Amino acid sequence: MTVTSTGTATVSASGLTLRYGGTAVLDDVSLRLQEGITGLLGPNGAGKTTLLRVLATAVPADRGAFTALGHDPGTAAGRLTLRRALGYLPQNPGFHPDFTAFAFVDYVAILKELTDRAARHREVRRVLEEVDLADVRGKRIKRLSGGMRQRVALAAALVGDPRLLVLDEPTAGLDPEQRMRFRDLVTRAGQGRTVLLSTHQTEDVAMLCHRVIVLARGRVRFEGTPAELTARAAGRVWSSPERDPGARAGWRTATGAFRNVGDPPEGADLLEPTLEDGYLLTLDDTGTEAAR
Amino acid sequence: MNDDTHAHGDTGRGARDDTGRGARDRIGPRGAGAWHLGEGDLRAYERGELTPPLLWSADAHLAGCAECRSRLAALADPVALDAAWERLDAELDAPRPGLLEGLLVRLGMADHTARLLAATPVLRRSWLLAVTAVLVMSAAAADTLRTPDSPTLFLALAPLLPLAGVALAYGPALDPTYEMAVVAPMHGFRLVLLRTVAVLAVGLGVNGLATLALPGYGLAALAWLLPALALTATGLALMPRLGPVLAPALTGGGWVVFLMVTVTTRHGDGPLPPFTAAGQGTAAAVAALATGLLFLLRNRFDSVAPAFTHHSHGSTL
Ligand SMILES: Nc1ncnc2c1ncn2[C@@H]1O[C@H](COP(=O)(O)OP(=O)(O)OP(=O)(O)O)[C@@H](O)[C@H]1O
Ligand SMILES: [Mg+2]
Repeated sequence: MTVTSTGTATVSASGLTLRYGGTAVLDDVSLRLQEGITGLLGPNGAGKTTLLRVLATAVPADRGAFTALGHDPGTAAGRLTLRRALGYLPQNPGFHPDFTAFAFVDYVAILKELTDRAARHREVRRVLEEVDLADVRGKRIKRLSGGMRQRVALAAALVGDPRLLVLDEPTAGLDPEQRMRFRDLVTRAGQGRTVLLSTHQTEDVAMLCHRVIVLARGRVRFEGTPAELTARAAGRVWSSPERDPGARAGWRTATGAFRNVGDPPEGADLLEPTLEDGYLLTLDDTGTEAAR
Repeated sequence: MNDDTHAHGDTGRGARDDTGRGARDRIGPRGAGAWHLGEGDLRAYERGELTPPLLWSADAHLAGCAECRSRLAALADPVALDAAWERLDAELDAPRPGLLEGLLVRLGMADHTARLLAATPVLRRSWLLAVTAVLVMSAAAADTLRTPDSPTLFLALAPLLPLAGVALAYGPALDPTYEMAVVAPMHGFRLVLLRTVAVLAVGLGVNGLATLALPGYGLAALAWLLPALALTATGLALMPRLGPVLAPALTGGGWVVFLMVTVTTRHGDGPLPPFTAAGQGTAAAVAALATGLLFLLRNRFDSVAPAFTHHSHGSTL
């Protein structure tokens, strides 16, 4: 966690805008990514998937531009070079269910232009080992558990040792143990690469990410380190025996007391903020801003 | 579930980690059959120069034949031999290619191209069966609704089949890995063409067989061919703009409406306009134009199609 905000940008986007039927799903999004893992946090419908699709060159933005790894995906040549250095895990990765894990990753490797059979098979074995699936490589995908399928998809994304990894909610739908394993894999995969992963879970961000971007209603609401996001809630979290009506949000904790975020009353019992508090307050600020 | 925990255990991994030569460990005492690998094949295998399908036969044989394995060991220098073992190991991991894939490779297609085609859902057996059933039915129907000089219903339906096949072979509707394929460096148009050619070959083949079942009409029974090409090319050319569902649907719908109009307005009993010489010429021209347009639009197949909607893949398994 020593990456600082002064690192050189591997991806930088400015003014990305994308409309579906009149509503701006992405509204003037500018951001910079650097080597290491960046978390993209945001509520349902915030535009996370759409942003990741744009950065993964699946859909072009209506307006704005970005460069990634020094390539301009606006040109056919730039897009091709970028795609050669890109691993993408879609939100609901599809599979050919009758393929085995090996055959599926092999298929993706072919799409990634690895035509030499021996070299390709070596690479497929390598990525399957990287996600701890070497033992089930001969099983059909439809017989694998959800967590294993997710790892097959991650293996497919890792084929060709991409410098840029775009992972859309990689930990969604996994049980806690699987989630821990998956975080481990992503941490390993994040070494020496630029990783952008979207998630609903502040826990993912706290445990994995060097940097975090909060997206809500298609706009970037925060960009910085997890510590900076947490610091947004400094002095704005307090405890009370009953729900504090003046709080922006409050919930009962395991101790039975209420944890409130917002503007604390005089003499309130202030608590140490967490990343979640910072995220909630950031979202809440965007909500009140939209209501005005 | 259970599977998962089992898979994460140490089962099966220790053995390969000891030696790094899993293949050697996995070779069982299976019978090897009567033949043995020739000297030349063995040398080519050892140098990594053997290609499929011969490579597969060699792998299968080596896995079961201790004699050939020791001959291979004898003739190889240790470094190359290690590489050969590693290759054999990888080959044993690699799944046996499916029926279709194996056939294509035996016919001389590169193995990676064969894999791309095998991943074309429409080429899967179930589809072929369904499609054949439809055709048999339409040919039978054509036979019952016998018109004097052309099997009208059959001619009207047959061109829709390759169009449907192409629509189903690419795009989000039936390709669960569509999004991954789009962002892969392989040119999207190449995948489209590859699958189109494959599906056309199958579709036209099936149609051709059905035509053979209508010998009474002679060449007139082949009048579906040019309209089929025209419809397929048009459907594809409209895809970048209208998306992979609407484009073929509109094209097919247009064809049906056009035929109904000609049926209600025609005089006398000759073949419908599209199946006359003039109609065939027009179909050929449309096919050529649409193909040209398709070529101009080829780069548009490199982004997700317009009608690709949100979360449409949740339940592909
Ligand atoms: N292809 C599309 N056509 C029309 N609307 C779309 C399309 N893709 C996304 N949207 C809309 O854009 C908005 C943002 O969607 P997006 O999938 O980017 O959100 P998200 O942050 O990933 O949400 P989730 O957390 O549920 O995955 C949603 O309102 C969605 O309905
Ligand atoms: Mg999403």
